[in-house]
Formats: sequence, C-alpha cells, structure tokens
Amino acid sequence: MAGKAEVTVITYRGIFQEVEEALGMYSEGYRDQSALVVLDKGEVKELGVEDGQPVILENGFGKVVVTAKLSEDPHPGVAFMPSSPWSAQLASGEVGEDGILDLKRFRAQVSKANEAVTTIEEIGERIRAA
Amino acid sequence: MVSVMEIYQLLPKTNCKKCGLPTCMAFAVGLLGREKTIEDCTPLLEEAKYEKKLEGLRELLAPILSADATETGMIIHDEKCYGCGNCVVACPVNVANDPKGTAIGRGPVSGKAILMVEDGVVKCVNVDECRRFGPNKVLCSACIVTCPSKAIEFI
Amino acid sequence: MAFCTGCSLLCDDIEVDFQGGKIKKTMNLCRKGHAHYDSLGVDRLAPAVDGSSVGIDEAVSAAAEVLAGAENVLLFGWGNSTLAAQGAGVKLAKKLGCVIDDPSSYSQGLITEKILAGDFPTCTFDDVRNFADVSIYWGDDPSSSHPRHMSRFSYFPRGEKRQRGYEEDREAIVIDVRKSPTAQIAADGFFKILPGGDGEFMEALMATLGGKIPKVEDKKKMLNLGTKLRKAKFGVIFTGPGLAHSLGGDLAGFASLVGRLNELTRFSVIPSLSDYNSRGFNQTLFDKTGHVNGVSFKNGVDHGPEFGIAKYLDACDAVMVVGSDPAAVLPGTLAKKLAKVPMVAVNSFKNLTTDIAKVTVPTAVAGLEVGGSALRADGLRVEFDAFVESDYLPDVEVVERMMEAV
Repeated sequence: MAGKAEVTVITYRGIFQEVEEALGMYSEGYRDQSALVVLDKGEVKELGVEDGQPVILENGFGKVVVTAKLSEDPHPGVAFMPSSPWSAQLASGEVGEDGILDLKRFRAQVSKANEAVTTIEEIGERIRAA
Repeated sequence: MVSVMEIYQLLPKTNCKKCGLPTCMAFAVGLLGREKTIEDCTPLLEEAKYEKKLEGLRELLAPILSADATETGMIIHDEKCYGCGNCVVACPVNVANDPKGTAIGRGPVSGKAILMVEDGVVKCVNVDECRRFGPNKVLCSACIVTCPSKAIEFI
Repeated sequence: MAFCTGCSLLCDDIEVDFQGGKIKKTMNLCRKGHAHYDSLGVDRLAPAVDGSSVGIDEAVSAAAEVLAGAENVLLFGWGNSTLAAQGAGVKLAKKLGCVIDDPSSYSQGLITEKILAGDFPTCTFDDVRNFADVSIYWGDDPSSSHPRHMSRFSYFPRGEKRQRGYEEDREAIVIDVRKSPTAQIAADGFFKILPGGDGEFMEALMATLGGKIPKVEDKKKMLNLGTKLRKAKFGVIFTGPGLAHSLGGDLAGFASLVGRLNELTRFSVIPSLSDYNSRGFNQTLFDKTGHVNGVSFKNGVDHGPEFGIAKYLDACDAVMVVGSDPAAVLPGTLAKKLAKVPMVAVNSFKNLTTDIAKVTVPTAVAGLEVGGSALRADGLRVEFDAFVESDYLPDVEVVERMMEAV
C-alpha cells in the first residue's frame, strides 16, 4: 500500500513552459511543461512513485494530478513545480493583510496516482463550477 | 563526451597499420579528431568477427559525424537552447570581430560574428574563425560555461 | 528592425522576415521572444457576448453596459497594454469612480513603489551594462524569464567601464532556493537558501557588512560576499518574484540592507517584471495618484490592500480584465470567486480568464500588429512600431470607445 509524503512545494517559471504558453495554453505541450512536479528521488521511492508517472498533489485548497519528475540531487522535504494553473489550485487562497498572496510556496501531500494528469479544461470547469 | 579509450575499445587492437597510423590507439585519436574516418580501418569493415564492434563504433561516433557537428566538433543542442545569446556575447572571437554588435550585447552588425541567434536558437557560422579550429586550436570554453542549459558541447 | 514585447526587456534589435502571414526567419529573438512572435496565429480571441459570436462594435457596447450597470467595478490587468491604453484605463477608472489594479498588488508592487518613490536608488539597464561590476539576482532567474537580461545588460556585455569581459570585470551573485539556470551560470556566486530564508540571509549579510561574524554554515563564503559587495563600484540588485513573495509585505529588512549598501558604496535596485509593460502601468498610476496599484476613485483617491484584486473580489460586482489571465494565476479558491463576477475580458489571446468572461473583446498584439510605447523594467520609455498589418483594434482604442459608451 503506497502512502503519502508531505512536501513544501516551491513554484518557478521555466522558459520552455513560457514558450509553450505562448504557442497555446490549451496544448499538450503546455500541459507537459506545466503539470509536473520535481520530487526528491530518494524521498518518494517508498511511495512507489516513478519518474514520468502521474502523482496526486493535494492539500486543503485543492487537488491535481501531475507528472512526477524525479531528481538525482537530493532536496528532502521540498518539491519544485512550474507556476501554472495546476500549482494555483494548491496555492493558499488566504490573503495577507498587505494583500500579497503566497503563490510561490505551499505545503502539499504527494502520493502515487492511478488517474490521468489533470487537463486545463478540467481546471477551467472547476473554476466555473458553482 | 566521447573518449579516446571508448573508441579504442571498439577497434581491432591489432596495430595492423592499414589505416596509415602505427597503432590502433593513434587511429582512435585520429577518429576523435575527425582526421580519420571509420572506413580507413579496412579490417573492421571487411572481417565478419568485428561486426559488433563496427556497429558499436558507428553508434558511438554518430553525434561526432552528424551534420550538427561543425568542423570544430561543436554540437548545439537546439532543443536545450534558450536563445539567450550569452555565448554570442561572451565569445572572444565575436568580441574582437563585432565590437559594435555582439560585444556590447546586441545582435551582430559586422558580418564577422561566428555565433548568433537565429529563429530563437544559437547558430555557428564562419566556423574557421573559432579558436578551437585548425592545428593551432585553443581549448576555449567561453560558449560552454556561459550557457544556462548546457546546450553546447564539443566532441 | 522590429521590437519584442515578449518580456519587459523590450529588445529593439530584432530582425524578422515575415512572409504570407508567417514568420520565415528571425534574428536576435530569444526562444521566448520567438514563441511570442509565433503566437500571432494561435488561440486568438474573438468578440463574443455570453459565448455567442458578435461583431466588435456589439462586444464593445456590451462591455460598456456591464461596467456602467455595476456599483463596484474593478479594472484589472494592464501589464500587457500600451502606455496609451494604460493612461486611458486610469481615466476610465476615474470616470466610473471605480477600482483599478494590476498583478503587482499581490506580488512585486511594494518594491516597485519604493523604486518609483525614490526610496530605493535605481538606474537603467544601460547604466548596468556600462558600469555595473556586481549584479545580484535575488529570487530571480532571468535566464528563464528574461533570457537576454545577462547577455544584453547585466553580466556578459562589454560596456564603457567594463571593457575586459565578465570574468575580470563583473560578479554575478544569485540568491535562490534552487539551482536555477541563472545560478548555473553564477557557479560559485550561487547562495542557496531555504524556502522563506530570504530574511535570515539578509540578517547574516547585514551582520557581515557590520563587521560581525555571520551566523551561517559557510562563514567564509558569506564573509567573501561581504567583501565583494563592499568593494563594488557599481552594484545592482535585481529583485525577482521569489524575493517579493518571500518577504510579503515586510520590506524593512530589505530596505535596511539597501540602505547599508548605499552607505558603503553604490547599489541600485531594478525589479524583474514579467509583463512587457508592468512598469508602465505602475508609473502611469503612480504619476496620477502616488500609488502603483490598488487605487479606488470612488471618493477621490483611496489606496490600500483592500483595493488589490485578492481582497476586492469580495466586494466587486463587475470586473474588466485587460491583457491578463488572473484565472490561471490566482489560487483556485480566488479564481472561483472571479468566475462569479460579471466579467469583460480584453485580450489578444484566449485564456482561462477569457473563457469565463461574459463579454470578450479582442485587441491587436502590441509591438507586432500595432505600434505604441511602453516602459522597460528599468523605466526607460521605448517606442515601437507594428511590423504586420492587422484588423484587430489597438488596445487604446478599445478602452477609449468604452469610455465614450459608459
């Protein structure tokens, strides 16, 4: 039985993601570059998570399925994710006194997924849902 | 990066001299430097027992022999390139040849630049001007160390 | 020569061979800029009301109706608009007596405001190229976000006082939570910090600059950094989203550091802004109101976090989003709030925000299909021309037409 690991997710912008965004944010290319999370290989081994396979990321704000990329360099407890509509589903909706949002960093649980990567259309539907 | 030893391991190691060089090791160096071709080693081509080695050698040298590699052995991995122009601006040949363009961070203006960004990725032209070209080559690495994505290598 | 509005560097040395509606060849455009040019034919927005196609005139009148019929309107976006459209936007906000805001209200606005107000010294990118010997990239990865930043200005080019090349003449310092592509280039100049560790790093650096031993693991590296900064003749700090989000609203530590560095030598601050004309909007609003974002014109001029999009979504009953995609960027819970507000979306391209809009109004892509002007991230005004003809309306015309109609 695969379990869950708690990680701090840091978001970043990558050039290939920006390129794909310009060339169409409804494209597979954009999803491939955005719906992913870079995980510490050693840390997620026991969860049965494999490189290139889907994982669930969830917290009190939302849940998305993205592709796992396992990195050789250790960064225990920390995961990296392109800042995108996928990461936004997990970012805290709590607004600081100063109006600033913490879009760059949030806690999330990661586990092996038996479902497909969330599509941008699904995210759009969630946003529109009552 | 392909090493001489890797190439040597795939040669007949008989030092038969048919290629015109005294040893298989010298031939390996020649292959890596693109002064010799696989076809110069006739035993490797003609004798059935070397079939596996030949196959391995062709695979190993494919990137060196591909059209992507310039005469200096430079390979630009287009799929990794950001088109940032760091290499274009840092290249000492560009700085000397194109002082009012690439040297000050702009696109080339002199027609003498050897690296430039075309269609969003870097491209090498006038390769004979590169410091790595020819018998008096210098192992300059300005375009490699300035790259954010390891898109340039020399083989 | 053409211009690139793909990011806030506004590169002006671009050559484009455009034939039969397609880009044949470009010179000097980075990969991101090339994609920006290539995007001309992708996912273009069409005029629509409630999901049905309409003519552009009908879309503009429907948009004006949405805005005129509401009490608490929010005009949001503006980073991808020309200076003329931004100016018209502020006028429209005044006329409607409503709130106007941009993404800086929830990210980098406080730093930009301090720069515009003169609290942080600043300089132009050309000064950086000519004089800077120390470039600090803090929570900032220009290699990915502004690909030609280091080659055009901040690290690699030769300049007036920087004739010997980056190895001898310049230092690149990268402070980040991950080894970004920019950190890769900086090599030994990379300082890896823990998530949220920016404040701690500042304290350690302040201690070092004050002649104390810093409480960090690698004391030698920090002391070396202190020496480098002290010896700098012309230093620059490029502030990225990583720094802004880590500090939140508390800029006191950063302000002390900038102050201290300027007692010792000269250090400027330049923000790394993503949209091509973010700085233009901040400056335009600042010139009119003294604030860079989150302004309400309901009773004169009011400013505060309550007028930033993140909070004002609770109060507004109509929103117009111009050249932006908050539905894709805001946390899902806030994007849901946004989806419930009657919305007008003005944009060149489709995105998650235009998808949830009641009215969509397409515009020409500035710098490619229509000329205009913008402020580079360092504040320099850049005028650009169109290089291809287009039937789409310029953004300024859309905003002005709405102003007439409301």
